[in-house]
Amino acid sequence: MLLAMAWRNLWRNTRRTIITVMALTLGVAAVVTIHSYRESVFKQMIHEITVGLIGHAQVHAKGYQADPEIGRVVVDPLTVEARLRTALPGAALERRVMGYGLAGVGEASSAALVLGIEPALTPGVRPLVTITRGRALGAHAAQEAVLGRELAVQLDAVPGASLVLVGQAADGSVANDRYIVVGIGDAGSAELNGNAVFLNLTDAQDFFALGAGAHQIIVRLPTSDEDLSTPLATVRAALDLATLEVLAWSEILPELQATMAEKRRYQRVLDLVVILIVGLGVLNAMTMSTFERTREFGVLASLGTRRRRIVGLVVIEALLQGALGCVAGVLLALGLLYALGSLRLGGLSEQDMLGVQLPAVVDVALHPAALVNAVVTALATVLAGGLWPAIRAARHAPAEATRYV
Amino acid sequence: MRSWAALLVVVPLLVVVAESPMARATPAAPIDVPACPNGSASPNAAVLIARIDRLLRGRSLVGTLTMSVTTPAWQRTLKFKVWSRGEDLALIRVLEGGPREIGMLTLKRDRQMWNWLPQAGRVMKLPAGMLGDAWMGSDFTNDDLVRGSSWTADFVAALSDAREPGGQELWRVVLTPKPSAVVVWGRIDMLVDARTCQPLAQLFYDEDFALVRRIDLSEIKRVGWREFPSKMTVTPSEPGRSTTLTYDDVAFDADIPDETFSLQRLRQGR
Repeated sequence: MLLAMAWRNLWRNTRRTIITVMALTLGVAAVVTIHSYRESVFKQMIHEITVGLIGHAQVHAKGYQADPEIGRVVVDPLTVEARLRTALPGAALERRVMGYGLAGVGEASSAALVLGIEPALTPGVRPLVTITRGRALGAHAAQEAVLGRELAVQLDAVPGASLVLVGQAADGSVANDRYIVVGIGDAGSAELNGNAVFLNLTDAQDFFALGAGAHQIIVRLPTSDEDLSTPLATVRAALDLATLEVLAWSEILPELQATMAEKRRYQRVLDLVVILIVGLGVLNAMTMSTFERTREFGVLASLGTRRRRIVGLVVIEALLQGALGCVAGVLLALGLLYALGSLRLGGLSEQDMLGVQLPAVVDVALHPAALVNAVVTALATVLAGGLWPAIRAARHAPAEATRYV
Repeated sequence: MRSWAALLVVVPLLVVVAESPMARATPAAPIDVPACPNGSASPNAAVLIARIDRLLRGRSLVGTLTMSVTTPAWQRTLKFKVWSRGEDLALIRVLEGGPREIGMLTLKRDRQMWNWLPQAGRVMKLPAGMLGDAWMGSDFTNDDLVRGSSWTADFVAALSDAREPGGQELWRVVLTPKPSAVVVWGRIDMLVDARTCQPLAQLFYDEDFALVRRIDLSEIKRVGWREFPSKMTVTPSEPGRSTTLTYDDVAFDADIPDETFSLQRLRQGR
């Protein structure tokens, strides 16, 4: 009966109820949309990192992350891979060689990052470079090279061009060799597009005189979790940490991790401010509403209605408005997110966030934590906003309240 | 940058010694070479530096050198032949080294540098941005080879404590870059033998005056009127690294044909 009364009371002042509900709707929608959009972008960036250049984790020779010297290699990467496969049966592994050199085509030359990769990738693993001209590297070493698209422009290189690479090999000698450019592609970040030369792993190992050694063993896990502490502990337990180091993507890109944490902190402050503004609005509306109805509460009390029921009535009114605001807010957020998801953020996404390219189309989804946060905070706010006027209303002495105009 | 290594390494290497190490009679130095002020208690630093500058520079140089590079990870020895003329032209051919390096040529013309890469069979010009990189994995930079500046032109010399304590009698000449000079060093100290006026060591300080590189000069050889240090040891601040360069033979002031420094010829790997 209280619920029916509360519902009827809400529509006695339709305009005020609608304004209160709208304030809540906008607040909830803003919090849910911004929170969900940001989390979706983060999730996609982490996805880009973990399926792309970095992987979920990497195994290096000890000290490589701090000082990536060309001779600091995992000497026997196949044994390390075998151990990793036993420890993490679902993981995809990839050996990689990375070194700097000078790339030249004809008269043009430019500093280059030489990346030795395994082109015969596990099915389902996305290639590091999306070929835009020519073709990808062959499965076997054949003195072939694929260039990042900006580097190709800089060197005026087309598929079929002869590419000369010079660098310093691990034994101190001058590495120099000639390759055929077979393809040009998008390597996923402005930095790589501007300087990456992809070679077959074996060609790169020969170039840098590394033998069978590799600088990085990329570990990709069948998970989209941000917290990798359990699989990392498994990997670390399986390997000899006296000679090797195991690093999660967040340790390889600590700035990115820090930036994300910082943005999340700002988000919490923003959520609080939005909800506080909405909460004050609701408090104001509820106080006004109960103040105007002092006489009515007095009459109810004179008729024998208990104080608790009067408080309950006002609280239910507040909660009903809160629930309406939440439902409408979430619906509005869904609409906004759908619209954002279908946007191609072409101009914006050309930028990198600390070397990681922002996704062109964000696959936006409602973030459960955002939803819970917004709903709990909104309901708590309306409850707090409604409770005080309700108690105040119930405390009036019936005789005094009925004289109240 | 690091032009001082250039002077000490490449200058003797590229510019100095010309006759044969087995010089017959000792010819007198040309009159434009300032005399060694070894009788003076506090000689004029500028004169001292001018003398060293003049000693280490010649019209041309042809020489064979051995370079040993030691790093914590590896140790290697290279042998190469150098032709140089004035400050602007130099050609280096690797005679002995890794299998991919033998026959490698480095040509310096003015402030530019090209490499003939025997394995690739191509010439590649070194971009300006890579002049600071190590030359052949050594502690010399490409820039050390390319630069041809003079101490007297870029630096102001002053004699610090007239005598160094202990052992050999030394002068310490402090070279401070002139405001107009484009050099990376904050200061260079040259230790000079007070008896012979021979440079013994050079200490390179960065802009914060931290010691970053030391070059020791030793094994003085006489070629014609010149006496020059035929061994140079570079010790950078990085622990475990050093590069030693020694002359096996040198000839100064010989006529070297223009085509030796021709880019066309470099492209043919000759």
